[in-house]
Amino acid sequence: MDERLEKALDFSNYMVTMYNQKRSFKEKFYQDLIYYYNGAQFTVTKDLISFCNVMNINNQDEMVLVDDNDVPVIIDDLQEFIKNITNIYFTASNNYIYNYNKLKNNRSVEKLVDL
Amino acid sequence: MTYNSGVLLFARNNSKIDYLKQAYYLAKQVKKILNLPTTVVTDSKDYLLRSFPDAEYVFDKIISIVWTNEQLTDNTVLGKKENHYYKSYNDGTISTVKLEFKNNLRSTAFDISPYDETLLLDTDILLLDDNFKNCFSQKHDFLIYDKSYDLANFRDYSEFQYVSDAGIKFYWATVIFFRKTKKNKIFFDLLQHIQENWNHYKSIFQINQSYFRNDHAFSIAIHIMNGYNEGNFAYPMPGKLYYTTDKDICWEIRKNKVIFLLEKERHKGEYILMSWQGITVHIMNKFSLNRCLDRIGFND
Repeated sequence: MDERLEKALDFSNYMVTMYNQKRSFKEKFYQDLIYYYNGAQFTVTKDLISFCNVMNINNQDEMVLVDDNDVPVIIDDLQEFIKNITNIYFTASNNYIYNYNKLKNNRSVEKLVDL
Repeated sequence: MTYNSGVLLFARNNSKIDYLKQAYYLAKQVKKILNLPTTVVTDSKDYLLRSFPDAEYVFDKIISIVWTNEQLTDNTVLGKKENHYYKSYNDGTISTVKLEFKNNLRSTAFDISPYDETLLLDTDILLLDDNFKNCFSQKHDFLIYDKSYDLANFRDYSEFQYVSDAGIKFYWATVIFFRKTKKNKIFFDLLQHIQENWNHYKSIFQINQSYFRNDHAFSIAIHIMNGYNEGNFAYPMPGKLYYTTDKDICWEIRKNKVIFLLEKERHKGEYILMSWQGITVHIMNKFSLNRCLDRIGFND
């Protein structure tokens, strides 16, 4: 095989593997963002954190939120809830960036998947 | 109220695939990760005990399905002529074999399960996180996956969205959570009725597949329970169901990680590497899963 083509194919395999690994980390991130509270399921988003914080600033101690399955849930300790979802968000995003940065330093297919 | 909770597995080998091996490994993972007991339902108890002498300790209960003609009536799921379907099993993109597919018993899960709260799993689930624990702390009595994610990410997944082109919503019978409630008893009885009259329901719901598939029977039963409509009889399992098909290869299983060779788009016989960490995944290539289990042994 022409050396130029061989090199291009090697690089192409590397790029596809890299892309797959990025997808796998992204899915892990989304999975890690799920917060289970009182039998309800919330995907933690920046919107959710901001909204809860605004309610908290407006002196709300408890409130009703609609969870991922469209079920209304009473959040009876809003401050605790904010603390937990913020914690979930930071843990998930820190893991994500840690894994993402690891990818950048790996220059071969084998290293990308830690063979 | 304290519930008696556990995991239920159906494992019935065919001539090439050792489902009991998968069940044994999964039961160990369930104990370790979810801290729950596991019951296995099998027609090969002797083989299980011969192959894994400590199986009686690993499993909470081993339920043996051995039936005699006297126990049976004509019109039951465990009918005299148990229909064993044949389907094609792939081992990657270039190896296919037609084998027996013994999937008839899932609709009996409600009656068979010794638990008030049951997590019903396929044996080819690789448990890598404790997400399923959340089923037991939530309020809904019946959970099933409707959302899924193909790790290869290029294949047509429309068959996992609707049972047919103009059909009803698709649900995965791979992982189900249920409590022993009256409503769920009605559901599982309905499921048996659908199974017994499969040809009728198959034609009504425009299902073209030649063999009986639990996913389809569950989808039809949920649709009926919802008043022939979309509704909320069934709530989604926590998170998404991640899967690889039998055209992918499970290459290596490590502690909390698995390495796959995923089918490469438009390049038959070629694969892309992917490592997958910390999220439970459904591995449809049973041959490669068993090869990996053989390699890691069962002490992990």
